[in-house]
Amino acid sequence: MKRPLAALLLALQLAACASFEPGNPPLAAYAPEAGYRFEPLARSEDADKLFVVVTFSGGGTRAAALAYGVLEALRDTAIQWRGRTAALLDEVDVISSISGGSFAAAYYALRGRGIFEEFPGRFLYRPIQGELLKAALSPASWLKLAAPAYGRSDLAAEFYDREVFAGATYADLIARNRRPFVILNATDMTTGTQFPFIQDQFDLMCSDLAGVPLARAAASSSAFPGALTPLTFRNYAGSCGYRHPAWVRNAAEDHASRVNPRRTARAENRLSLAAEVPADGSPAGGARPARPYVHLTDGGVADNIGLRGPLDALTSVNHPWSLVRMMNDGLIDKLVVIAVNAATDPKMERDQSASVPGLVDTVITAADVPLGNYSFDTVELLARTAGDFYRDARLVEQCNRLSAAKGAQCALNLPSAHKVDFYPVQVAFEYLASGEERAWFKGLPTTFELPRETVDRLRAAGRRLLFEDPQFRKLLNDLKG
Amino acid sequence: MEYVIVTFPTDRLVYIDDEKSGSTNEVLRVDAGTHTFSLGPVANYRPASRNVTLEDTTPLEPRVVAFYRKDE
Repeated sequence: MKRPLAALLLALQLAACASFEPGNPPLAAYAPEAGYRFEPLARSEDADKLFVVVTFSGGGTRAAALAYGVLEALRDTAIQWRGRTAALLDEVDVISSISGGSFAAAYYALRGRGIFEEFPGRFLYRPIQGELLKAALSPASWLKLAAPAYGRSDLAAEFYDREVFAGATYADLIARNRRPFVILNATDMTTGTQFPFIQDQFDLMCSDLAGVPLARAAASSSAFPGALTPLTFRNYAGSCGYRHPAWVRNAAEDHASRVNPRRTARAENRLSLAAEVPADGSPAGGARPARPYVHLTDGGVADNIGLRGPLDALTSVNHPWSLVRMMNDGLIDKLVVIAVNAATDPKMERDQSASVPGLVDTVITAADVPLGNYSFDTVELLARTAGDFYRDARLVEQCNRLSAAKGAQCALNLPSAHKVDFYPVQVAFEYLASGEERAWFKGLPTTFELPRETVDRLRAAGRRLLFEDPQFRKLLNDLKG
Repeated sequence: MEYVIVTFPTDRLVYIDDEKSGSTNEVLRVDAGTHTFSLGPVANYRPASRNVTLEDTTPLEPRVVAFYRKDE
């Protein structure tokens, strides 16, 4: 009896000494045109005239099923566009996703319309949570979990790699070479900023995203704090000849003037991730990354809607897939942003009792409530940004009209920026008309295991909410779908 | 959002912070802050680039960033 126990303890000790195996390989040389980026992905001529961005929020299987329902609805929406009939799904250019929504997004990026045959069986209807727990309880996993650089999310990533994504990496998405450009988002645990899985971000760490499994990106995006551990990535900064784009220096120099703090913060975040410090004891004066490792947790910690990246693209010329640049180039005539939000309401159990809420309840509330408020602000920001576009365009039109009304000699004929029709579409449970139905959906738990009938109701709700959105109806009317 | 017109006697591509973004003599959207403006090839213009801090523009009063022919 003593021998097997000693053997087990020895094995656990050896496992604890195991070296860290990074899930992200180094980048041999910085190549701004190569890797998983927006620009190189093939598209048909004039395809950007109608530009569609979709965002999938976090929320476990609830979010994945709602996202999947929206994809089904987009597949079934025929539009007339530039003299041809097309499915609106085929016009989607970018998907930005968080946590549970990242599974649907990554699967669609990998398999295209194959998602509609495969994803329900591979993910939506599966008791993923139970299967993860079973894997964690296996003695083989204990050995792995004993290593300090290996956590429950690494185990989950291996499970997703084997059972959901069949070993696919970003190299498979590059080889597929087609839109949409799918951005899975995690959160940099140290800076609290969004960490998108795109080569532009991995350039900062001199790492090659092509070698990263999709499962590891999805696991990072959905590493729900507490239940799942953060994932560790190696930072090879300084080893590939990376050069910051010109805007980073300009934005960092704006720090004192505070002219655009959000842009400055983005620049400083890039500088921090790529920063180097003198290597300890290096006689040649070598350097090493200031942060040799980066720890990523659930994307929902930084932005549970997945909209912050698209909003930056919509308001800045300094973004890896800047929509402002494309608008300035006259490439976009109609811009559609569909935000799929599986947010729920807080539970009210604690208010049924006079008892003072416990420490765990209080800590979870302190973490959850600001995130919920931030999500509300993010969705509001989308509406406000759309409003700004309309107001600015209308202002010039009104001035021209008013001046022309005073007579030809008064006509101003002021030039205006390239006109873009903007459709901010929102799919969220709060827009369900029935209070009872709304309460039912908003009471669903965040888990990777839901009954089949619940998944089917979520799919149907995603479709219905999309078709009922006033901006989506306006879009279909304008496209004569 | 800020508004800019980059002026030049002929139609040329505009580069903002080394990225192509619209053409000369058109109203362009740019985010607030300091940006480096230049024109696309050929380099027959002056100055070679302009650093401009954009703030408080409106669509009715875009900031003018002027470039000239070298021989003017």
